[in-house]
Amino acid sequence: MSNLNISGKDILRFLLNHYDFVQKAFDISKPDFIIDSDKLFQLISEYNTSSETKVSLSKITTDLKFCRQLPTGEYKLNGTYTTFLEFIFDDFVLDLPETLKNRYQAVFNHFTSLQTEKDETKAILFIREITKVIEDFLNDIQGQTYRLLRDTESLKVNAENNSDLSVRIQKANYWIDEYIIPLNAILNIDNPSSVINAIIQVQRYASEKRILADTYTLKREFEKLYASSVNAKAELDQTLSKLTRELLPLLERIKSDSIILSGFYHFVENVDNPENYIVPLPDLLRKVRANVISKTFSNEAEFYIDQFNYKTPEILYEETTEEIEWLPDSSYFKEQLLKEKEVSDFYQWCFDSLKEHTENLTLSKFFTISNLILEEDLVAEYKDETRFEIQLSDAVLKMPKVKVYEKLSE
Amino acid sequence: MRSYPNEHKEIVSNLLDGKFIIYPNPLFAVLQQEEFADDYKEFFKESYDYELTIENEFAYLSSNVVNEKRTRDFVLFLAILCRELDYNGKNFRDAIELGNFDFSETEQLLKQSSKWEILEKTSVADFEAFIRTWSGKNVLKRTGNQFKFTKAVKLFFEFAVNVANAKLKEQQEL
Repeated sequence: MSNLNISGKDILRFLLNHYDFVQKAFDISKPDFIIDSDKLFQLISEYNTSSETKVSLSKITTDLKFCRQLPTGEYKLNGTYTTFLEFIFDDFVLDLPETLKNRYQAVFNHFTSLQTEKDETKAILFIREITKVIEDFLNDIQGQTYRLLRDTESLKVNAENNSDLSVRIQKANYWIDEYIIPLNAILNIDNPSSVINAIIQVQRYASEKRILADTYTLKREFEKLYASSVNAKAELDQTLSKLTRELLPLLERIKSDSIILSGFYHFVENVDNPENYIVPLPDLLRKVRANVISKTFSNEAEFYIDQFNYKTPEILYEETTEEIEWLPDSSYFKEQLLKEKEVSDFYQWCFDSLKEHTENLTLSKFFTISNLILEEDLVAEYKDETRFEIQLSDAVLKMPKVKVYEKLSE
Repeated sequence: MRSYPNEHKEIVSNLLDGKFIIYPNPLFAVLQQEEFADDYKEFFKESYDYELTIENEFAYLSSNVVNEKRTRDFVLFLAILCRELDYNGKNFRDAIELGNFDFSETEQLLKQSSKWEILEKTSVADFEAFIRTWSGKNVLKRTGNQFKFTKAVKLFFEFAVNVANAKLKEQQEL
């Protein structure tokens, strides 16, 4: 802060007296700490009307260097302030793990230089630089982890509607993919370019040099570096376990829970239109008392039962034109038969005689004539077992060969 | 003739009654054995045209002909209960999977919900009978004035996940 013209006490007094203003400016300008000029002016005027103590744009930009105007017209908060304010408000802005990686990359560079440096004074500078980078990195990563944990907790709060649920799922996915997994990679001991590996190398080197270094001063510096690296490793281990054992499962949990809630949401909203929730409900079996279970069996059973399903018959009265069938006059044919005196094949004779009078030879017509065989004054002689067919319009008869003649009167 | 396990009759009658058979019930242990699992699937398919599903922790029969129409009501009940628990800042999944629910408190919680108007038109309205029905299927377990969900509830969570994923896919395709 030596580049500021006013004393540290002035700055602290400003932060204390205008705590609310500073906090609002901090909140509005997050995450890049850039604020529109309109918004800043409005903030100042609102603050000045409500508060006894006043702030002025010139004081905060020129004297206190709280912010400066960019060529675009916006104002950017001073990085020295924001780092301190993040600490004060316990509100860290998430850095992309890539940014963190670039920061700790410096450890590798300084460490390489340290190992080849012969000059004691320069070696001490490298040692101090490494310690500082490690310290900064630890602060960063702790702030980040804390921030992630807190944001994750806030993700659990009420989701009023489904879009809140979608936001939850998206955020959880984003944090897992963009922060936790890359952070894990940075902290993963199996990854040769991870910070933890750099720290382990530093720790080994310092452990050896704190005993074997040429001078007492160097030994003491290496001792400090060793302590710092041991501490860093322990803290990073802790952070890693927080990330993998606490944060990651929590986020996964929030994600999967939100998916369930979101699915239920769609289901409830579309309960009357099942096609809208796409996936069919589980087809649980309904308890059935009767054993008619298989579809085929059920159909067959229904068909069978239908047979006993008596209905009062419906009587249809149809007005039919009554057709009285013409029947041959048996006395006429008897007369013809008697004229023959003897017929060797009676049934054939019936057929032939009938055919002379009608084309339509029905069973009833045939029987009217063939019944003559029963007349008392006729004798029927039947010897042969064989039968021949008589083709009528409505039947086929198999008749024996019968001889018929008139009974001689006694 | 092949040999049936001793528990055969019990397994078949439980499943045909529409009950879930759930771990650690010894009947489930039988169903899970490889030598029986396929046989039972075939048995139910051939005899009744039912599907036997054996999951990690439970087994059940399903049929698209003789199916339980009240399943819809149960899913509604579960969905709205989860929603209310989540609104109240509770971890609904822990509550459902592990917790005990007081009979009348739960009924009150549901009645306060803006979605009660849907539930009251379903079989959930007669809450007592509703709990009895689903206890009979081993989806709920009732003890005194309390009930809890059995592991079978996971089937309905899975249904919700499938709906959400299907919706997500649908939105992505648009």
